[in-house]
Amino acid sequence: MNLDSYSITSEPYYFPTHNEVQLFEAAYASRMPMMLKGPTGCGKTRFVEYMAWKLQKPLITVSCHEDMTASDLVGRYLLDAEGTVWHDGPLTIAVRHGAMCYLDEIVEARQDTSVVIHSLTDDRRILSLEKKNEVVRAHQDFQIIISYNPGYQSVLKDLKESTKQRFGAIDFDYPSPEDEAKIISHESGIDDKTAAKLVYISERSRNLKGHGLDEGASTRMLIYAAQLMAQGVSLQDACEVALVLPITDDRDVRNALSSAITACA
Amino acid sequence: MVATATRGKYAVQPHSQEPGSPDERLVYLVDKGKLAFRGEYQAIWESACNKLAQAGYGALIPLSYARHSPKLVKTLNPEAAINLSASVSLAAIKVNRAAAELLPKAAVIAAAELKSSHSFSSWIATVEELIHHAPESSLAVLERTQKIVSTLTPDRFRSWVLAGLRSTGDDTLRQIQYFSFVDPESEKWFLHEAGDVVFTNLERKLKLYLISLWNLCPPMRDLIASSAPLSVRRISISNGVIQVPEVFPGFHDEQAETIFRAGIAHAGAHLMYSTKKFVLGELKPIQVALVSLLEDARVEYLAMQAFPGLGELWLPFHTAKPSGPKLVPLLLSRLARALIDSGYRDGDGWVQKGRDMFFDPGNDFTDPAMCRRIGGLLGNDLGQLRAQFNSKTYVVEPPYRDDNMGLWDFGDRQGQEESDEGIFIEAMRTSPQESDDDSSSSQDSEQSDDRNEQQYSARESTDSEHRESEVAVRYPEYDYLTGAERPSWTCAVEYFPDFGDALKIDRILEKHSKLVNRITNLIQSAKVSLPERLHHQNVGESLDLDACINAVISRRMGETPDPRIYSTTERKHRDLSVLVLLDVSNSTNDKVQTAGTSILELELQATSLLAYAMSELGDPFAISAFCSDGKEDVHYYRIKNFDSPYDSSARAYLAGLKGKLSTRMGTAMRHATSDLINQHTHRRLLLVVSDGEPSDIDVDDQLYLVEDAKKVARSISRLGIDTFCVGLDGSGDSYLHKIFGKKNVAVIDKLERLPERLPMLYFRLTA
Repeated sequence: MNLDSYSITSEPYYFPTHNEVQLFEAAYASRMPMMLKGPTGCGKTRFVEYMAWKLQKPLITVSCHEDMTASDLVGRYLLDAEGTVWHDGPLTIAVRHGAMCYLDEIVEARQDTSVVIHSLTDDRRILSLEKKNEVVRAHQDFQIIISYNPGYQSVLKDLKESTKQRFGAIDFDYPSPEDEAKIISHESGIDDKTAAKLVYISERSRNLKGHGLDEGASTRMLIYAAQLMAQGVSLQDACEVALVLPITDDRDVRNALSSAITACA
Repeated sequence: MVATATRGKYAVQPHSQEPGSPDERLVYLVDKGKLAFRGEYQAIWESACNKLAQAGYGALIPLSYARHSPKLVKTLNPEAAINLSASVSLAAIKVNRAAAELLPKAAVIAAAELKSSHSFSSWIATVEELIHHAPESSLAVLERTQKIVSTLTPDRFRSWVLAGLRSTGDDTLRQIQYFSFVDPESEKWFLHEAGDVVFTNLERKLKLYLISLWNLCPPMRDLIASSAPLSVRRISISNGVIQVPEVFPGFHDEQAETIFRAGIAHAGAHLMYSTKKFVLGELKPIQVALVSLLEDARVEYLAMQAFPGLGELWLPFHTAKPSGPKLVPLLLSRLARALIDSGYRDGDGWVQKGRDMFFDPGNDFTDPAMCRRIGGLLGNDLGQLRAQFNSKTYVVEPPYRDDNMGLWDFGDRQGQEESDEGIFIEAMRTSPQESDDDSSSSQDSEQSDDRNEQQYSARESTDSEHRESEVAVRYPEYDYLTGAERPSWTCAVEYFPDFGDALKIDRILEKHSKLVNRITNLIQSAKVSLPERLHHQNVGESLDLDACINAVISRRMGETPDPRIYSTTERKHRDLSVLVLLDVSNSTNDKVQTAGTSILELELQATSLLAYAMSELGDPFAISAFCSDGKEDVHYYRIKNFDSPYDSSARAYLAGLKGKLSTRMGTAMRHATSDLINQHTHRRLLLVVSDGEPSDIDVDDQLYLVEDAKKVARSISRLGIDTFCVGLDGSGDSYLHKIFGKKNVAVIDKLERLPERLPMLYFRLTA
């Protein structure tokens, strides 16, 4: 099977903040299953794309959701005119043909889903398709990567201990202010000074974490604001649209945040 | 006493063309007045006048009525003028002659302002209400008719009157203080009703603003203790607490919000950058004022380095002009402007010198010492100019800036009230205006100051009794008469509960071991959780499509299809947190008629059975108890928190509960809700255990607290929290039905009935 459509041909922009690129390369050398932890919009998905490009491997991304079952990942029989036909799921394709498989927000999926990856994440590296009575041995290029946002942790939505302990982990956080400004100006095309101001503004929102906000403004939000500004929108309006309004419905928090943004301007 | 003082002012002065004796004058006025009425009204009004004249209220009351009431015909209608006589009679009987005499005149003022007869009758109804409930205070209110009707609508007027009646209980002296605006609470609620932007409504926004800017979260209080006139009250920072005036007069709507924000940002700048206090030493008052002013400019300068936008927030308040007389307060505000506004030009040599010294490149802006140095020098210059500075009248300008009391270390001089500095400190703290030469008002302010101190010391002493109590949270309370909540009206204070004998609880469990088992089984069988969809079932109410496809596939492949092709929903767990709120007011010491034990005892028994069952099953639960001693002191005891175990100390606290004081149920429920809201379970239950009617020492309106509790119960259910009440002893159950709704109350009169009633509760949660 040709996985070309899963290949990433041009270099995605990624700004390394620590030694995560080296760590990941080392992990990939032994095909170690990896877990990327960090708040939303801090660059986890971009990082995976970048590494897939760097390592020249196809990347299959699955966004996990509440209703996802094991057969959505592994594959299922479908009916057609002649009889039944087996369709590989995204995970099976990656295992069979050698791709990196990235399960985004794995905790969202039902708990039985995460169990199917267990046999892939130890030294066996096999995936058994029970319905089909087949055992798929992992291609040598296959690697599994999951992302995980500890901010949403609740008792109901947490990884099983037996799942957690099968992964190496890299912790992501928002980049340092200088780095974040560089990223924003690269992604949006606005000048460094304005980008730095946006980062400064984001700190105001991150201060409010736990005081009405569950999470401060992410790098992604700041890039959105910067992109609006690149189109000629004023700082105040861009922040209102990309940052204040999406982040909360609490009027008092909005008011405080807007005022703080005015103070930064 | 107020009456005699003002009587002269309002007494009817004979008019030159009127005849001399009162009787003759009355005849003259009636003849003149009745011309305003038409048809039958003429005779009715005339007889009303005569009735007043013959009632023995003295000569002045009928004269006042005859003189003023005809004016109501034109502004309103003849009925209003005629009906007024009944109100005048009421005032004469219930209050005194002065009030009755004043009422017709006040009515004319009110009618001119209110214009509609509907509004006027609401106004007069409120006045009558006041005459009934606080006769001693009604004269004070009538005297202020102009101020009141020009600011408040009749509904708001009633609301303000009710706030006064509710906050003062039946204490006549406090009522008089409230209604004559001596009590600062009075002004506060007046402004609240007038719809001005008040601190209480902005508090959360301002807090979040400071957190957002500097990640600072200092406690904020309203500056109610100040006796200074509103116009010169300033924000005050002491020991990290920011005290904020309830209102900045003259600033409305958006502007008002801006000045609060400017003030809070300025206070935040102090907290960030005014790191050490200045020692007062031998500084003169003018130097103290200057050093404070420079320090204000310094912290604002630093804050604007971090947040350039703050300049736009602060600048509009600097309105000093580079002209005018060279009086020290004016020079100070010019200097203040020169230090923040780079576009400001001032020809005055002294102001220019101050600016040059402040912005000297050699200055280290991170060190407050520069302010001390420059302030000292500039102060000497002013001294040489022989410019007069009166520290008593000096008020920090612009008004968003704080009083700077927090900047100074007064050493041991603070005790010397008589020393210059002592007076200066006092002056800066309260800043009474010289023009306020009315001796009675300054006396009044002193009184209110004393009273506030008493209040504070009272709070301190209760605190020291229960050293551990630290949490005091203010809550609104609902007034059914106005249909609105008054913000920050009551205060829930958390006290540490007393230790009792934990064995007592164990003995209850032993004695009722059978009941314990029944209750545990009952709770265990109750599944309170989100229904879960179960796939792949033998029976169920809908087809499981995935399973159906699989079955068809199996059939085509020649396998035996799996018959489990249905899906269904089921509640499998019990995902429920319970907060048991116990009423431990004095009335719980009464005996239950049928059981022979006290209500409190029954509460303890029921609670210990429930608590045992819930802790055995691992359900998250908390136990709290409450009683109240007036609106400012609603006692709240945490027996067990959600995150603490139900261990022997929790049981000892439970056993140590004693019945005392009153039942302000609504406030306790609000406080309990703030705990429960943070529980992340599928259902959350506030289980109130009470013996009936809410009441408190400072409330004589029986319905008031019932309606408040009812309001709370409703608003809690809107938050997705269930409320249920276990009523003990049947006597109060009608109130409980009213508060919680009939379905949400179970009345038990002896412990054995608890298991009978519990299924009802759990059935409601799962239904």
